[in-house]
Amino acid sequence: MAEYDLLPKLVGHLDRHLIFPLVEFAANQVPEDDDAKNLEFTRVKYELLKTTNMTDFIGSLKAELDGLDEAPAEFNDKRQKVLSRLEQFEDETSKITDLLGREEVVNNLRSDKVANLEFLKKEHDVTIENVNALYDFGNFQYSCGNYAAASELLYQFRVLSTDNDKVAAATWGKLASEILTTNWKEAVEELQKVKESIDGKLFNNPLAQLNNRTWLIHWALFPLFNDDSTRDQLLDLFFSPPFINTIQTSCPWILRYLAASVITGRGRTRSTGQYQKQLKDIVRIVKQEAYEYTDPVTDFVRALYIDFDFEEAQRQLSLAEEILKSDFFLISTAEAFVDAARHLISESYCKIHARIDIKDLSARLGLGQDEGEKWIVNLIRDTRVDAKIDYKEGTVVMNHPPSSVYQQVIERTKGAFFRTQVLSAAVAR
Amino acid sequence: MSRFFTGGDSSSESSSDEEELYSSEEEGQDQAQKDDSDEDESEEEEDESESESSDEEGGRSGAARFLRGEDSESEDSDEDRVKTVKSAKDKRFQELESIIKAIENGQKINDWGSISNEFDKLNRHASKVGESGKPPKIYIRALVELEDFMNETISKQKVTPKKMNATNARGLNAVKQKIKKVTKDYQTQVDAFKADEDEFMKSEDEAPAPKVRKPKATDTYTEAAADADEEGFSTIGKGGKTLQFTPESIFKHLRGIMESRGKKNTDRLEQIKIMEKLYSVAVTPYQQIRVLLTLVSARFDLSAGGTATSMPLEQWKAAEQDISNLFEVLNKNQDHIVFEGAEEWEDDEKPPTLQDGEKYIKVPGSIVSYIERLDDELTRSLQSIDPHTSEYIERLTDEGSLYNVIFRGQLYYEHLRKDSSLETPQDSVNRIVMRRLEHVYYKPAQVVKILEENAWKTAPAGFESTITPQADVADATNLLNVLCNYLFINSEGIIRARAMLCQIYFLALHDEYYRARDMMLMSHLQETINSFDVLTQILYNRTLVQVGLCAFRKGLVYDAQNTLQEICGSGRQKELLAQGVMIQRFAQVSPEQERLEKQRQLPFHMHINLELLECVYLTCSMLLEIPLLAQTGSSPDVKKRVISKTYRRMLEYHERQIFTGPPENTRDHVMQASRALAAGEWKKSINFVHSIKIWDLMPDTEGIKTMLSKQIQEEGLRTYLFTYAPFYDTLAVTTLSSMFELEDRKVAAIVSKMISHEELAAALDQVTSTVIFRKGVELSRLQSLALTLSDKAAQLIETNERTLEQRTQGTANAFDRRGQNQRGGARGGGQRGGRGGARGGGGQRQAGGTQFTGGALGAAVRG
Repeated sequence: MAEYDLLPKLVGHLDRHLIFPLVEFAANQVPEDDDAKNLEFTRVKYELLKTTNMTDFIGSLKAELDGLDEAPAEFNDKRQKVLSRLEQFEDETSKITDLLGREEVVNNLRSDKVANLEFLKKEHDVTIENVNALYDFGNFQYSCGNYAAASELLYQFRVLSTDNDKVAAATWGKLASEILTTNWKEAVEELQKVKESIDGKLFNNPLAQLNNRTWLIHWALFPLFNDDSTRDQLLDLFFSPPFINTIQTSCPWILRYLAASVITGRGRTRSTGQYQKQLKDIVRIVKQEAYEYTDPVTDFVRALYIDFDFEEAQRQLSLAEEILKSDFFLISTAEAFVDAARHLISESYCKIHARIDIKDLSARLGLGQDEGEKWIVNLIRDTRVDAKIDYKEGTVVMNHPPSSVYQQVIERTKGAFFRTQVLSAAVAR
Repeated sequence: MSRFFTGGDSSSESSSDEEELYSSEEEGQDQAQKDDSDEDESEEEEDESESESSDEEGGRSGAARFLRGEDSESEDSDEDRVKTVKSAKDKRFQELESIIKAIENGQKINDWGSISNEFDKLNRHASKVGESGKPPKIYIRALVELEDFMNETISKQKVTPKKMNATNARGLNAVKQKIKKVTKDYQTQVDAFKADEDEFMKSEDEAPAPKVRKPKATDTYTEAAADADEEGFSTIGKGGKTLQFTPESIFKHLRGIMESRGKKNTDRLEQIKIMEKLYSVAVTPYQQIRVLLTLVSARFDLSAGGTATSMPLEQWKAAEQDISNLFEVLNKNQDHIVFEGAEEWEDDEKPPTLQDGEKYIKVPGSIVSYIERLDDELTRSLQSIDPHTSEYIERLTDEGSLYNVIFRGQLYYEHLRKDSSLETPQDSVNRIVMRRLEHVYYKPAQVVKILEENAWKTAPAGFESTITPQADVADATNLLNVLCNYLFINSEGIIRARAMLCQIYFLALHDEYYRARDMMLMSHLQETINSFDVLTQILYNRTLVQVGLCAFRKGLVYDAQNTLQEICGSGRQKELLAQGVMIQRFAQVSPEQERLEKQRQLPFHMHINLELLECVYLTCSMLLEIPLLAQTGSSPDVKKRVISKTYRRMLEYHERQIFTGPPENTRDHVMQASRALAAGEWKKSINFVHSIKIWDLMPDTEGIKTMLSKQIQEEGLRTYLFTYAPFYDTLAVTTLSSMFELEDRKVAAIVSKMISHEELAAALDQVTSTVIFRKGVELSRLQSLALTLSDKAAQLIETNERTLEQRTQGTANAFDRRGQNQRGGARGGGQRGGRGGARGGGGQRQAGGTQFTGGALGAAVRG
């Protein structure tokens, strides 16, 4: 299983603070009694957070590492320093945060940043240094692990600052903060902002675009698997050409998450059309990238949709289940994934076969015979497959009505009228 | 100034001589004559024996030939002493004699046509033999005799009213003009000969011993110039001054040569000879560099006249040697640099000295241009040599030395770049790195390795390259990487594109299909290739083909076919790959175009085997087309889906034949294999394909054959199912598997795939493991026509929308119903398939990532 562990690959594209939950998760997977391993994870955590300002936590980690009862003295010093800096920052920014807290000031702000700054300068004597202090303070708060405060500060900074680079950095910072405070709605909004800034500002620098998109894709995994309401939006983002290209070029391992989330999303998506399209896309991409990246999840897709090897698909499915259970992002969807995958197997199996032995099918789905029968009954009911169970023989008989030619002609010409109308409207304009 | 003096201090002596010469011409002339006779006497004996032996040889035949060994041995001992004598000299003399004989024969029967021809030949040979600047005596004699005879004929012609026939008259005229020219060149000798025939013939023939060579050569030129003056024209030197070769006068000579450069009637060979002499007397590095620079460019000028002719071999070698010498000199004298932007030093009397605060003495010149020129000349000469001769292979060995020169050049430029004050243009470095890359990219790794090792041997010890450190580039792949990356970072435009293509080519050649393909797609070259120059387009085509072949070796038939389609489907592979000129039936080609096209041709050793290419392409097409043909069967839209027109045409032609004999060439083999496959006889098909001999050219022939057998088995099964499905109700999987010798599971998988893609109206019965074919799926003619009509209507709407979209320049987003294209951007491919792909009925085959929509082809040919 270790060969499929994506942690080392993911780490390179995430922020320190975002890595921490992943490491924490990995550490929890280790059995309690394996001291050496546990210690190693503690060391990893310590190294990871060493440079941040979360002194208390680092101190306790250090203590654990060295087997001390309490944190070494140096951390106390550090803590004092951090606190004093914190106060200093608060002093610096108190004025502007005050101002922004006052309603009459906020009401006077317009969408034009330059004018805003001008206004504040004139009326309230705010300098550009004050604004930048907000940024620094936000950064500092983030480093301390005070994500909510950081998010707020960075928001305020972004309203006022005209420095494009810093605004971009602040947007990234805010995104991280929102993710860490599990504020998914906001996070997705920030994601869109970052995406726009990548598309717009880095237009002339394809390499930077690629790198930034790679980062963004990795960060987006957090909301993708934690919030159902924004999932469609995020999947659309992932499937948009620039992003799918980024995945193919620089981080094919994301395919696991993409495939898993598409498959899991089976019952959830609004329209089956969209689901079919996504599935088609993922099959195509998995096929294309097979030379670069494979794991049980992509292998499952490949076995089922490219090689039509149902036995292999079943084998990969059980492997994939294990993978999912040891993955930080996918653990919560493991059940749903297996369920959806079974549906997919039986769907395409029924499509191809005219008569199926129930026993055999149950084995393919990894279920017992009775369970399998129940499953099939459910399947027939849910998907309205034209099938009957022959109890005596222990088989399911499928009835595939050939698609009528007339139906086909109707299908093909259905949209024509509407499209022509749109066309003529456009010409008339 | 005679050779006897030179034992002492030659420089002081000669300089005093020079003064004398300047002061009075007469004196110089006298002296010259005296010199001549001196020389003659001293070498009389030696030459006598020599000319005798050569005379003898000319007349000898039959058994006497065996005696030659002895003779030539004695000659060899002579040659040891005489540096300029070539081992092939005897032979040449013999040839000369035979030609002279032929001329004499012509004279006897008054056949001026043949005399003219022979005379041309004679001149050519004479210039070869007389490399040291001295034409052979017999040549001079023949010349004089011919001239006499000619004059005689002309005078006769005037008296007799009888007219000569046209050929003769033309020949006579030609000879007349040529003789005039040639005698002018060899005026001295001719005069000497006229003065005293016997004496002249006895006189020295060979260049004297090397020790005394320089001053002697000086003599000859002194007199040449003097004589020339008398005649009232001057090829070298200015206004009646005679030429003298001393270190001090070098610059003067160079200036003279430079000024006459490009003018009509300049004898370049002569100048080169002068400069060779100059180089040998040059003492200071500055002089050496100057002489070498001028010398090299003069050598290149030799071939500049007619673009079609290539540089003579010996001149090329000499030029290569000179450039190497130049590097030696520059390496030894680090304070001298050759630099494009340097200023011309005007003062001939004083060589530039190192000024305070300046690190270098800068000499104007462009080494990179010389190297490029040297490279081009080699290519040109390779183009003109018949590739199936040993001459070609001999010539090809020079590539090694050329590569060394390029390598040295690169080191030199790196050295210059180290000093930022020089501001060496990045462009020069790029150019030289590019040249190096172009000598490497099409070679297998082992060959590159040897090339590299040799190059490092020639480099002075302790030299390390910053661009390509020795340790890093030991492996050919690394070398390619390093070179290409350097160019990616430091260059732009065409060089960058070329570097990219070279790297892709190399990767494809070494079976790195996916990397090659990804790079190809990410380069986006297929969109812009039309705007590049023809050579780059050719490189693009070559790369494309190589990627296709690589895909085939990997067993990716579909990708291979798709990639090769554009080149091979056009039927103009030869032109597109610059591996031969096609005779165009309809278009008139102007001579100018033809010449350009000839120039573009690649030398043979870079060719991609066209027969192999065709074989691969046809085999791939077969594997894709035969099942497709079986599938479409008799439905009305057969015409719509054609993968390869070329293949279809061939197949049709083959099927029209009433009698088909056993296959002879590759094409026959593939065609018969196709027919066998279409009939379900996959074993026969495999036999046909396997008996194609050209597979042996592929690395891992066995692997390829196994891959092909497997593919044929599978496609055979598909074809069989398509063809015979209407005649079956059920079909057991086991029957199929035994029929096609495939595993049950594999058969089931293939059938499942076909069912799932709705290619086959059937279903599997798991219990009895049979395929059940559905009834009543065949469409009536009316129904299928209705389907076609609906398709057409859909297409019409599509086209309308696209037209409007184009007109409104993208503002009509209303039509983009499916959001954006599936796959644009960095992977190129999907752009086209994006719209049509979603509708199942359209029948568009979407290529996924591997659709190169280059279209680079037409332009590559048209130029």
